[in-house]
Amino acid sequence: MATEAENWNECIERVGRSQDRGAFQSLFKHFSPFLKAFLIKSGGVTPENAEELVQETMIKVWRKAPSYSSSQASASTWIYTIARNTRIDWLRKQNRQNPDLLNAEDLYDERENPTPLSSLSQIRTKKLISEQLSQLPVEQAEVLQLMYFQGQSGQQVANTLALPLGTVKSRVRLAMNKMKLALAPLGDLGVIEGSN
Amino acid sequence: MINRHPESDLLVEYASGSLSVAPCISVTTHLQYCKQCSDSVESLGEIGGELLTTAQAVPVSDELFDRVIASLDSLVEEEPSDEPQRQCSDSISAELPEFVQRLLPDGELDWRRLSPSLKVAPISVGEEEYELALHRIDAGGKAPEHDHLGKEITVVLTGSFSDEEGVYQPGDFLVREAGDTHRPFAARNQECICLSVLEAPIRLTGIKRVLNPFLSFTPS
Repeated sequence: MATEAENWNECIERVGRSQDRGAFQSLFKHFSPFLKAFLIKSGGVTPENAEELVQETMIKVWRKAPSYSSSQASASTWIYTIARNTRIDWLRKQNRQNPDLLNAEDLYDERENPTPLSSLSQIRTKKLISEQLSQLPVEQAEVLQLMYFQGQSGQQVANTLALPLGTVKSRVRLAMNKMKLALAPLGDLGVIEGSN
Repeated sequence: MINRHPESDLLVEYASGSLSVAPCISVTTHLQYCKQCSDSVESLGEIGGELLTTAQAVPVSDELFDRVIASLDSLVEEEPSDEPQRQCSDSISAELPEFVQRLLPDGELDWRRLSPSLKVAPISVGEEEYELALHRIDAGGKAPEHDHLGKEITVVLTGSFSDEEGVYQPGDFLVREAGDTHRPFAARNQECICLSVLEAPIRLTGIKRVLNPFLSFTPS
């Protein structure tokens, strides 16, 4: 029996293959309230802006669906990436930068390959990541929440939580270690650490 | 073999989208060389997807779906891009990763000589907080000793260079914090090209202050 996550992958593939509006509506119903929750947390975004950004994100989902492959990314990760890029371009426009020169897709080199270079089996890791995230100590989860949801940098998180930047960095590192993400060996980073 | 990588918090900032344009470009450039960090970024994207769908959902207005459908109907099918490919004619550009080539301006790069063996070509990315540039050290050449008023990120693209702390190969990702002083020099047998991101102008230590290379251009 297909899991719920696999159903969402299948929905995107159906939109991509046959422009299936029923599948698109299911995706919309499921994801748009999460997208609104995500986008409304970006600095300077009003509830109306958030809906515009949800709309923009879902239109991109429709347009890009033909290039989606469930072997490369789960539906939620793929949609998250589109929403993140939409937010980046929107925030740059607010800062009167010109995102048309280089938009977020260009910056992340996703033009031809809409999902990052793939090697891991996404669907399997998704379940694992979900379990590991739910087991993180509160203070580590809180830092990740602020970074992902509010788009805060490490320094901004440090300001928000009134913590030294070093503490924020070490919480990120502890969380990554706990989740056993293949990050660079610590030894290589000693010089940078020492200079802080 | 990549020796140096972005720290984990920088990769999380990258995956969660809080990096400015130039630092973001430096990480994407490193990923062109580094399988390990590409895998990490992929997993970090999964975290984003997971956090997205475990958030406290906020209902959207009833008519939003109709608005989206209306936009889809008026959506013009995008033609496969006919836009002329930007082409940098500089002799070094073909040696660089395609991702970096796409950032380069049409025609020749604007190389400016900073010292007898060091040249810089600024790359405009439309932001003011950071300066993005290519640096080129001649084979066997030395850059002037300098320290940093702001953070500097360097990604080696071709060749190699060394400083007091080690040898850096293509793909290596280095961060110098404000206050670090170093004097890079290229390997004897090959010129070295790096992509660099500067947070603020750096100043030369010692007597060559007037040559401060990175004050010689301003971001545009």
